[in-house]
Amino acid sequence: MTLSLPLIYRSLGVFSRHYLKAPIQASAILLGIILAVTLLIGVKATNENAKQSYGNATELLSQRASFYLSNNDQTSIDEGVYFALRRAGIPALAVIEGIVSDPQGRSWKVTGSDIMAAVSIKPTSPPQTASPTSPPPSKSIPLERLLNGHAAVMMSASVVDRVNALAKGPLVLNDIPLELIAVEESLGLGNNMLADISFAQQLLQMPDQLSYIAVFFPKKTDVVDIEAQTNIIINALEDAKLDSRQISINRQDDGESLSALTNSFHLNLDAMSMLAFVVGLFIAYNGVRYSLMKRQKLFIQLLQMGIGRHNLLCALVVEIVLLVVIGSIVGFIMGLQLSQWLQPMVAMTLAQIYGAKLLPGLWQWQWFAQGLGLTLFASLAACWPLLLQLSRVPLAQGGQRQAQLMPFEKLFKRQAFAACLILATTALLFSITTQYKLSLLLLGLVTIAIPLLLPMTINVCVKLILPFMPKGIWHYVVAETKEIIAPLSLAMMAILLALCANISMNTLVGSFEVTLKQWLDARLHADLYIKPNPNAIPEINAWLQAEPKVSAIYQQWSTKAKLEVKTQSSVPINLVSRDIYSIKHTTAFKSPSTRSALFWQQFQQGQTVLISEPLSIKYQLNVGDRIKIDKLHNQSSKTSAAIQTQATPEFIISGIYFDYGNPVGEVIIAPSVWQQHALPLQPISLAVNYQGNIEALQQELITQQGLSSAHMYSQQSIKDEAIKMFTKTFSITVVLNSLTLMVATIGLFSACIMLTQARLAPLARLYALGVSRTQLRVMVTSQMMLIVLFTCLLALPMGAILGYLLINKVTLQAFGWTIAMLWDWPAYGRVVVIAMISCLVAVALPLYWQTRKPLISSLQQESL
Amino acid sequence: MNRLRTILLCGLTLLGLMLCTSGCQPNAQKNDHNDKQNSGISMGKLLAADDALLQYHQVSRDNRIEFPKDHLPHEGYRIEWWYITANLTTSEGEQVGIQWTQFRSALSPPDTQESSPKSAWATNQMFMAHAALTTQTKHYSAEKFSRSHPEFAHVSAVPFSIYLENWRWQSETQHPFPATLSVEEPEFAYQLELNSTAQWQLQGDQGFSVKSADAQVASHYYSQPYIEVTGTITREGKTVSVSGDAWLDREWSSQLLTQSQQGWDWFSIRLNAQQTLMMFRLRGQHPQDSFYSARLMFADGTGRNINSATHPDDIVMQPISWHTQNNTRYPTAWKIDIHSENIHIATQALNPSSEMSLSTTYWEGPIKISGSHSGKGYMELTGY
Repeated sequence: MTLSLPLIYRSLGVFSRHYLKAPIQASAILLGIILAVTLLIGVKATNENAKQSYGNATELLSQRASFYLSNNDQTSIDEGVYFALRRAGIPALAVIEGIVSDPQGRSWKVTGSDIMAAVSIKPTSPPQTASPTSPPPSKSIPLERLLNGHAAVMMSASVVDRVNALAKGPLVLNDIPLELIAVEESLGLGNNMLADISFAQQLLQMPDQLSYIAVFFPKKTDVVDIEAQTNIIINALEDAKLDSRQISINRQDDGESLSALTNSFHLNLDAMSMLAFVVGLFIAYNGVRYSLMKRQKLFIQLLQMGIGRHNLLCALVVEIVLLVVIGSIVGFIMGLQLSQWLQPMVAMTLAQIYGAKLLPGLWQWQWFAQGLGLTLFASLAACWPLLLQLSRVPLAQGGQRQAQLMPFEKLFKRQAFAACLILATTALLFSITTQYKLSLLLLGLVTIAIPLLLPMTINVCVKLILPFMPKGIWHYVVAETKEIIAPLSLAMMAILLALCANISMNTLVGSFEVTLKQWLDARLHADLYIKPNPNAIPEINAWLQAEPKVSAIYQQWSTKAKLEVKTQSSVPINLVSRDIYSIKHTTAFKSPSTRSALFWQQFQQGQTVLISEPLSIKYQLNVGDRIKIDKLHNQSSKTSAAIQTQATPEFIISGIYFDYGNPVGEVIIAPSVWQQHALPLQPISLAVNYQGNIEALQQELITQQGLSSAHMYSQQSIKDEAIKMFTKTFSITVVLNSLTLMVATIGLFSACIMLTQARLAPLARLYALGVSRTQLRVMVTSQMMLIVLFTCLLALPMGAILGYLLINKVTLQAFGWTIAMLWDWPAYGRVVVIAMISCLVAVALPLYWQTRKPLISSLQQESL
Repeated sequence: MNRLRTILLCGLTLLGLMLCTSGCQPNAQKNDHNDKQNSGISMGKLLAADDALLQYHQVSRDNRIEFPKDHLPHEGYRIEWWYITANLTTSEGEQVGIQWTQFRSALSPPDTQESSPKSAWATNQMFMAHAALTTQTKHYSAEKFSRSHPEFAHVSAVPFSIYLENWRWQSETQHPFPATLSVEEPEFAYQLELNSTAQWQLQGDQGFSVKSADAQVASHYYSQPYIEVTGTITREGKTVSVSGDAWLDREWSSQLLTQSQQGWDWFSIRLNAQQTLMMFRLRGQHPQDSFYSARLMFADGTGRNINSATHPDDIVMQPISWHTQNNTRYPTAWKIDIHSENIHIATQALNPSSEMSLSTTYWEGPIKISGSHSGKGYMELTGY
C-alpha cells in the first residue's frame, strides 16, 4: 500500500474542519502540551542557567579569574600581596567582602574591589559562542564618584529600587549613609552591592586588608602551563619578600565544586519538572483520545470513501506532530517566562546555601529541541496504541458506539496488576539502593504505578457503596459513576499524581522543619554568637575574658581541608574543632547512641574523630573506619610534600553526628589535637554565656570593640535565620508543586468539559423522563465528587509512601540528612479541600453551560 | 604634544570618566572606533569648555616652568603625559622604533576631592600607559590602566620614577636622567638606558604652547629631543641589543582643542646631529582652518618657533601617500616645507601599518626623512 500525499492532505483538511467545529478538543490537547513543555522548559532553563553561572562566574564588573589567592589561615590577606602582583605586571584584582548592618539590624553583604582594575582587565579566555562577548565597561560607571573613597555603592537599577523601598530613606550601613549608584542590569551585578575598595575597606573596617585576590591569566588547561602560571605568582610574591607559603593559591575550577555541591538540588528540581511534564502529558493524551473517539465515525466514513488506512494513519500522525510543535513553541516561550520568575527564587537559595552567584539568564535553542523531541516522542508513544486500534476498526462497524463498560473493567484490572507488579519490584529494589539517583528513578517508577491503581480503586469503591444506595435515581447515579471512570480516569490520574506529590512534599518539608528546630535547640547553647573579622578575634577574646558577667566562652576553629578516604583521592571538607564542653554537650549524635568515658578520652587524645552525617553517607564512612586528613600531619615533616603524605596519621571515626543544611562534609577533632598541628591558631567564632542583658553586651561590643551588629547573633536570631533560610530553600519546590496541582486541575477541567459534552444525550433523556435540572446538576456534581473523594482516599496512603521514600531514601542519600517523618493531618486535609474545591469549579462551570442548552439539541447529540 | 587627545579619547571611550564630570556624553558615544571616520564629530568637541572644565587648573603664560618640580604631576590639570619615542638600531643593523607613554587624567576637579582622604586607595587620578615596538614588518602595541596608587601606579619625586605596574621609568636621582625605561609584555619587551645632558627645550612661549590660531587653547609643553639610548629589545622571546636616540615630550593642560578641531598630525624629526624639529598640524573643519606650529631646536637649548598665526603659509604639510589599515586611511608619507628655515623634506613611515589598535585607535611610528635634510623621527596621526 502506498502513501498518497493529496489524500493525506485532504484528510488533514477534514480534520481541521472537525477541530474548527469542536475547538475544545484541539485546545485540550494543546493545553496539555503547552503546560507540560512550559514546566519542563521553565525548570530546565532555571537549572541550566544556574549551572552555567557556576562555570562562567566572573568577578563583579570584570572577567573570569584563573586563580584565587587567599590567606592560609583564613583571615584576610594583606594588600601588600596585591601590590606585589600588580608591580610584577600580573593582571590581578583586589576584592574585599563583608557583612554590615543597617540601623534596623538587617545584614547586608558588601563587596569591594579595585574597580579601575576590574573594568580594565582583559578577557582571559576567548569568547565562547554560547555566551556573548562581554560588552566594554559601561559608561555608566561613575568612576570619579567611586575611586575617591566617597561613601557610594553600585547596584543594579532594580536592586536600588528594592533597597530604597526597604530602607525608606537613605541607606545607612555601619552608621555611614550611602549613596546608591544605579547601574545597568547588563553589567551583571545581580543582587550584589559593589563599592570601590577605597570605601569598602573603611565600611568593612578592614584597613589595608583584602578578602582575596583574583588573578587573570590566559586560560590554560595544560598541567605544565598551570604550574608555570602558579610559579609566576609565587615568584612575584618572593620578589616582594612575601612568604608565599602563607598564601594559598587556588585554581579556578570552572565551577566544578559548586556543581558537585548543588547537584542534588538541581536533580530534585529536574524530578519535579518531569513530574509536571508527565501530568501535562496526561492531559494531552486524554485530549487526543477523546478527539479520536469523537471522530471514530468520521474515520470510518473516510475509509469507506476509499482513503487508505495508511493514509489515514499518516494524516493522524501529522496532526499530532503539528499539535505538538505548536504546543511546544508556545510552551517554550511560556517556560522561559516561568524561568524568569523562578530564577530569583533559585538564586536566593543558591546564594544563601552554596554562596553561588547567578548570572543573567540566557536560553538556547537546544532546550527547545529537547523539549519538542521529548514531547513528540512521549505523545506518539502514548497515542500509538490508540491509532493502531483505530486503524483496525472493521469497516462494517459503522457509526455504532462501542460498548464501553466491559473492556474497560478488564483494562482496569490489567492496569492495577501492572501497578502492583511495579510497586513490588520497586519495594524490592529500594531496600538495596544507596545511590540517590537510583532512588529517584525508583521514585519515578512508583509515581507511574500509583495512577495505574486509580481506576481499579475507584471501580471497587463504587461497587462497594452501590448496595447501600437507595433504589431509584441515587442508585442510578452511583451505578453510572462506574461508567464515567474510564473517560475521566486520565484526568483523575493527573490529579492523583499532583496530590501525592503535594502530600509527600508537605510531609518532607514539615518533617524537616521539626527536625531542624530540634537539632538547632540541641546545637545552640550559648546566649550570643560572635563571628567578627578574623583579625579582630584575639582582642575580642581577651576583652570577653576580662568581662566579669561573661560566664562562659566557647570557641570554634575551622579550616578547609581535604579528606583522604579509601577510594576517593581527596574530598574537600571543613575541619572543625570546638572547646570540649561544646563538643560534648551540643553535638547531636547519630551513632553511637551512648558515649563512654573512654570514648571521650580517645577523642581528646587525638586517636578518634567525629564526622558529620552527610560525609558519612556520601562516602560510606562508618564508625570504626580509618581516615586521613591532609592538614593533620606530624609537625616534624613539613619540608616536602612527599614526606607529608607518609607521615599523615590515620584517625578512627568514633562518632557520626547530625549536620543539617551544611553542604560541605565536616570532621570534628579535639581542640588539643587542633593545637598540636599547624592549623590556624585563632578561632573563627566565639560564643558566650552572659549573666545579664544580652543586648547590653552587644552594645558594648559595638562601642568598645568596634564590632558591627552584623557579626553577632543571639541564639534566637540564629534559629530564626535558619528557619527562614530553610523556608526559602523549599519555596521553589512548593511553587513547583502548586504549579503541578494547577496543571492537574486544568486537566480535570478540560476533561470535565469534554465528558459533560459527551453525556449530554443521557442527561437529556433523564430530563425528558422528568428529572429536574437542579437534580441533574446535583447528580452530576456528586458523581464527580465521589470520584474525587476516592482519588483523595488513594492519594493519602500513596502520598505517605512517596513522602516516606523522599525522606528516608532520596533526601537521606542526596543530602545526608536523617529526618524523622511526621504526618501532618491538617496539611493533608488542606490539600484534599483544595482538590475538592478545584474539582468542584472544574465540574460546575461546564455543567452549568451544558445543562442550560435546549433539550432538543442535547437529545440530538445521540446521533453524533 | 598632541598626544593629549589620545588620553582624553581613551579616558572617554573606555571608562566614561570625564563625560560624567563634563557632561559631554552624546559626543563621547560618537567616539567609538567605528565612528572615527565620522567627521561630523570633531575631537575638539570632546573638549568643549564647560563649567566643570573651568574648575580645573588653567594654563597661563604667567606660569613658569621650573625643574625638577615640573617633571612631576600637575594633578589640578585635567590631563598630562610623559611621552617617549625612540629611533633605534639593533646590533644587526635593523631599524626599530619604540614608544612609551604614561598618561595621567584627573577624574574630578581638584577642589571636589575629599579634604582628608581616609585611605591610600582614595584618589581622583588615573593613569593609562601605552607601549609599542615597531619594526619594518611588525608593530606591537599594548596598554595598561590603573588608578593612581603609590604602590603600583604613580609618579614619584625622589628618586624620580614613573610607573604603571611593571612598565617603569626609573631614575636614581630626582632628575629624569640617567634612567632605565622598561616595558614587559608577553609578545614584546624593552629595557633601555636613557641619558641626556642637553638643555630642556621649552616649546612655544617659554613652555606655553598655543594650540589654535586665536590662542584660545594651549598647554604647558617642554621636550628633550636629545636622549642617548642603549639597551635591549625583545620580540617574541628573542632579545637583541639596540642603541639610538630618544625624544621626551612633557605636556599638561585642562583643555587642548577647540570645538572644531578634528585631529592632528605631529612630527618629531632629527634633521641632523645639531638640529631637531617638532611640528604639528591641528586640522580644522576646513583645510584653511588648520593650525600649524613648529620649533626648530638646537642641542644647546636654543631654538626658533614658527606658527601659522604669526607666519601664514610658511609651513606647508602635504600628504603624498596613504595607507589603509583596519578600514582607516592614514597619510603615512608627507612632503614638508618650512620656507623660512629652508627645510624641504619628505617623510616615509618605517612601517605604514603602525596603527595603535588600542582602546583608542591612532597611528604612531618611526619615520625616515629625505630631501634637504636626511634623518629619522616619529609621527603621530589622530582623528582619521
